[in-house]
Amino acid sequence: MSEKAKEEKAYRVLESHNFLQRVMFRYMLEGHAASEEGKLAWITSGFPVEIPVAMDVGVSYPEQYGAIVGSEKVGPKLCGYAEELGYSQELCSYARASIGSVKHPEESPLEGLPAPQALLACNNICGTVLRWYDAISQMTGAPVFLVDTPPLEGEQLPHHLAYVRHGLDNLVSFLSKQFGTTLEEDKLREVTDLSTETIGIWTQCLEACKNKPSPLNCADRFLAMAPVVAIRGRDYTLEYYQTLLNEINDRVANGLGAIRDEKVRLLWDNIPPWFRVFRIMGSLAKRGVVFPADTYTHAWTGSIKDEDRMDSIASMYSNVYLNKGLEAKVDKMCNLIKDYDLDGFVMFSVRSCKRYSLGQLVSKELVSERTGVPGVVIEGDMVDSRLQNDAQIETRLDALLEMLL
Amino acid sequence: MGIGLDLGSTTTKGVLVDKSGKIIAAHLISTGAIASKAAENVLEELTKLSQLNLGDVSTVSTGYGRTQVKFAHESITEITCHSVGVHNLNPGIRLLIDVGGQDSKVIRIGSNGRPTDFELNDKCSAGTGRFLEVMARVLEVSIDELGPLALKSKSPCPISSTCTVFAESEVIGRIGSGESPANIAAGVHQAMAAKISSLSRRVGIASPIGVTGGVARNPAFRNYLSAALNCDLWMPEEPQLTGALGAALLAIARPSVF
Amino acid sequence: MSNAQATERSERILKQLVDKGKPILGYVYPHTPLEIIMAHDVMPALLYANPTVMGSYEASLQTFACSFIRNMFSQRVNDQLPRVDGVVFPGNTCDSLQNLADIWRLRFPQDKIFRLTYPAGDQGEVAIQYFAEELRIFSNSLEDAYGSPFSDATFRQAVDLVQRFRNAVQFLYAARLLQPSSVPYHRIAAFVREFHLSPLETVVDELRATVNDVEHSLAEAGRVDSTKALQHALLERRLENVSLPSDLPTPRIVIAGGMTEPQAIAELVNAIAKVSSTAVVFDLLSFGFKTIFTPRPAFEGDPFETMARSVLGALLEPTQEGLPKRLDFLKDVLTHLAFDGLIVCEQSFCDPDEFESPSLLAVASEVGVRTVRLPVDPEFSDRARLEGRIQSFLETLAHGGAA
Repeated sequence: MSEKAKEEKAYRVLESHNFLQRVMFRYMLEGHAASEEGKLAWITSGFPVEIPVAMDVGVSYPEQYGAIVGSEKVGPKLCGYAEELGYSQELCSYARASIGSVKHPEESPLEGLPAPQALLACNNICGTVLRWYDAISQMTGAPVFLVDTPPLEGEQLPHHLAYVRHGLDNLVSFLSKQFGTTLEEDKLREVTDLSTETIGIWTQCLEACKNKPSPLNCADRFLAMAPVVAIRGRDYTLEYYQTLLNEINDRVANGLGAIRDEKVRLLWDNIPPWFRVFRIMGSLAKRGVVFPADTYTHAWTGSIKDEDRMDSIASMYSNVYLNKGLEAKVDKMCNLIKDYDLDGFVMFSVRSCKRYSLGQLVSKELVSERTGVPGVVIEGDMVDSRLQNDAQIETRLDALLEMLL
Repeated sequence: MGIGLDLGSTTTKGVLVDKSGKIIAAHLISTGAIASKAAENVLEELTKLSQLNLGDVSTVSTGYGRTQVKFAHESITEITCHSVGVHNLNPGIRLLIDVGGQDSKVIRIGSNGRPTDFELNDKCSAGTGRFLEVMARVLEVSIDELGPLALKSKSPCPISSTCTVFAESEVIGRIGSGESPANIAAGVHQAMAAKISSLSRRVGIASPIGVTGGVARNPAFRNYLSAALNCDLWMPEEPQLTGALGAALLAIARPSVF
Repeated sequence: MSNAQATERSERILKQLVDKGKPILGYVYPHTPLEIIMAHDVMPALLYANPTVMGSYEASLQTFACSFIRNMFSQRVNDQLPRVDGVVFPGNTCDSLQNLADIWRLRFPQDKIFRLTYPAGDQGEVAIQYFAEELRIFSNSLEDAYGSPFSDATFRQAVDLVQRFRNAVQFLYAARLLQPSSVPYHRIAAFVREFHLSPLETVVDELRATVNDVEHSLAEAGRVDSTKALQHALLERRLENVSLPSDLPTPRIVIAGGMTEPQAIAELVNAIAKVSSTAVVFDLLSFGFKTIFTPRPAFEGDPFETMARSVLGALLEPTQEGLPKRLDFLKDVLTHLAFDGLIVCEQSFCDPDEFESPSLLAVASEVGVRTVRLPVDPEFSDRARLEGRIQSFLETLAHGGAA
């Protein structure tokens, strides 16, 4: 693209996206290699990944694969294969796409994820993951291990921490038996240190968006978050985020925003519609609308620092955003609106994600009440484009913007 | 003799057979608001057409309104009746797809002509005749013109929504952006075929495959469904009468039927 | 007693208790520890989905919320819930119920809402210790809310009562399997509904009378011992040595599912004119088999630990780890108990039901048992079509030859 054309786009593209692509490519290759060696686990996005990584087990993320399926616009096709097997269209579309791609890898992007030898689920993001992985287990024969992190209300109590901690100890036994490896204390430290450092840099990237204009839009963050979800605890992940942070700081220093003409700053809530997010963000960018913060990318925070790394892991993974109830979600959204000086919010109701979406009708009112800013709820899906209607969404977004512009 | 009455939400059908199962008379009318009235009317018409006294004839009712027919000796579901009816006309058929006004059914027919498995799409109007009616209205053609219009297209315009309401607004959008009605009509049929194909795969494809129901008369629907299933389709001469025929055949087999 | 009559009677009883000043705690989840609640002199009362409620959830729940929670919430909005002084919801069982409790608290801040969080992992002792502590905390919160402390004596009485109820219904389940004519399924379902609505001595007495009648009828055929043996085998989930009489009427159908209520399904099936009264022989529903065949809590030891051990001993919920075990058990049930058909209930927008259903159907196919899927919601809004499906299914069972 010519310099002039670049200049005229409402949306600035990040240079570090090239690095990002290389990082994700490497992750994919490593996943295939691990699978061939019989050392691959599929893993949920909230799973304490530091433990399998420290035990030299390769990891692949079906949820991240779901995002790819969505972006490549083959959600309906793959979900359709799952539906042919009897899985209802009402179920999580990440799960359906995953089941569909296991059934027909030849019809799937990248020929599907490499075959797993274990399925590691942690229910801190939702209860669906267990059932999803159970279905995959039936199809692939790989055993499921669940790290159970019952939802918290307020502080994590000692018996809860002890229960989760036991689960992690059992995880270590399971992985030892399944993959013939052991967990070394110093390796765990190394991996958790890397992970903590990476998350720290990522957090700085997020917080830089407090600046005006915001150096990142939410679509940028949705792409950039892939490594911190899928590849925590690795050195090249850290490198990527350092590069990203440098580019962000450059933008801030030069007063460059993610979009050229920032007029309205909004909060985005929930997983985006992967098949449509760039179009939506692009068209909003043309009207001067940017999203300096969103609840999805802000979910990957926390640190593993205590002496007892395992306890620290148990604590961090129990306390993730989606595991703490509706009030906590409302608090988080209000804080983001305040800290990032936002003018309003968009709550995306993902039809197939009950954990994240149910409650939005109530939280919309509460967030508006407490912050004084207007918001809108739009409905659709993250992967299954058949469940989304563009006209409906446009009308509601227009209505919100009429209040703000 | 035996009488079969199929009381659908849109149409009511009646078939009179002799003791060997040969059709003596058949009739179809709009059901209207009162199913039992429609049944009486059809019975009257069968009487006229056959010139016979049908007072004591064994009668089986089927279809959505089957329990409304007080003078029927037995009511049997459409799943069984369509299966028996189709088996009588073409014993080789192993999978039957029946698409009516309000629901679609996929039925595995066993070698004895009875269903062994089935699945229904009955909660949602997409994938039923209703879907095509709505689209015909939007495209401003009659339901009978919709199929031939679609067949004119060489390049169907993809309709991605599986919800009738969403699809309607999608079609309106396409019309607005200047897409040809033929291409849109083709896309509509393709979408419907995909939905029915998916339902069929849940039961399991087993050829040869038959299609019945009002929608089966639509040539574009048959064309796109055949492509989606990758299989030729057989349709009886009177695709709307197979339920009533099956009911009539079951009527002559009474009382040893159930 | 019909559904409506049982409900009416229980509501009368509840009203009497309310008038006497006894606190009533509503619950929705079948594995709620009734004994712990009763130990605080609080009456637990099942809040079940009301088929006649008008949907009034739109301001707080989207349409993709499961039909059960939409129904429960609509009842609350319309003030149609039975008189209760609080509600306890389960935690960690499914995302819909998890969100419902949160939303309910925010919309109705005056309501006393409790949450009891269950372990989902198959972790043996560790899960028991966790849940025991959750029960202890729950107990403390009951004391704070209603004023009466946990009483060991009352707890023992409650354990005894619930155990007598379960024992009697277990026997009826076994009797129905061995000699379907000895007791109608809908009668068993009615008792289950009644006791959950109000766990009282009177219900157990009536149940006892029915059990006596059934025992007489079984004795005539010399089947009392084999019924007790079958009851035991079901409790142990070990069915290999079960031997059934050769003259069992067909078809024999089992109904599987989650939060679909036995009483509601029994009524639906009964409404179909041609269904034989001996057709539905068994269920694997959450309010049915899965809770009825809960192992007895021990009398000795820490009450919270024994309760935890008992509750977590009822192993078949799809909200928990262990799909292979559940499928193996289903296979055993289908093969050793001579079933012809399996009906799988899928509650509308219910994740546990809809994820589990394809696996259940596949197991049945494997062992040659015919199946039908029943997409239900608490209002049975599509009643005629549900009846149609079941009737078609029965027709298939009667005559389906080779595929």
